[in-house]
Amino acid sequence: MAGRDLDSPPIPARLGCGPKPAPDRMSVAPCWGQRFFEMISTAIRSRPNRWGCEVADSGDQPPADDGTEPDPRFTFANERTFLAWSRTALALVVAGLGVVQLLPPFPGVPWGRHVLGVPLIVFGAVVAVSAYREWTRSQWAMRHGQPLPRSIMPTIMTVIIAAMALVSAVVVLASALR
Amino acid sequence: MTATPGPPGQPDPGQPDRGLARERTSLAWTRTAISFAAVGGVVLKREVIPGLILLAVVPAIWLLGRVAHTGPEKLKLVTATIVAVALVALGVVFIHR
Repeated sequence: MAGRDLDSPPIPARLGCGPKPAPDRMSVAPCWGQRFFEMISTAIRSRPNRWGCEVADSGDQPPADDGTEPDPRFTFANERTFLAWSRTALALVVAGLGVVQLLPPFPGVPWGRHVLGVPLIVFGAVVAVSAYREWTRSQWAMRHGQPLPRSIMPTIMTVIIAAMALVSAVVVLASALR
Repeated sequence: MTATPGPPGQPDPGQPDRGLARERTSLAWTRTAISFAAVGGVVLKREVIPGLILLAVVPAIWLLGRVAHTGPEKLKLVTATIVAVALVALGVVFIHR
């Protein structure tokens, strides 16, 4: 797998669907966070699905076609990438909010701030959903020993930034000409 | 380079973590929680109730980063929260025109 340090000894998987840790290691497991997450994840799992059937709680057992647990370093790296894109999404939302709420109005273009701010907020939500989709695809590829799929996130960000730069230029020009 | 599996931020007495993957992931969760706090602060300037709700989400996000399970559920929660934040922001934008 690309990026794997072949000199490293194999690391026993212990995250998520991997084998459970030895009882002595359970003593260092987090209490607050773990309990909070188990409560939420149990609620999600026990919710009836769209066909009205109760979803079985599989506990720590992976589905039969869920592949094998990858090196935890890659799982962590995938998670960090997701978090980085999530922060980018939040930054887009804050930028949109800031444009609408903090910028002075463009002279002669009363709709200018909304034209700039609202798409930024919407794109923030799009980036967040795309980041989750990207994490899912990468995780699936790692679990099945497949090459990592090409990420669509840079393309999305490029389109967003280029589009916003174009719209900003139009708004500023329209404001200057009036 | 070796790294150990385990929950972010939790010590693992069994193996050294030379790659510090767990610590880096824990820090990434902390940064994400701080980002949520920043958004909450911005919203709080205009809308008190949504801002306070967003600030209340911050410890929940931080706690999510402390759990051992790296599954889709907790990342789904983060995604859903960001989408909710975007909806709140849109509401704030259109209320204060």
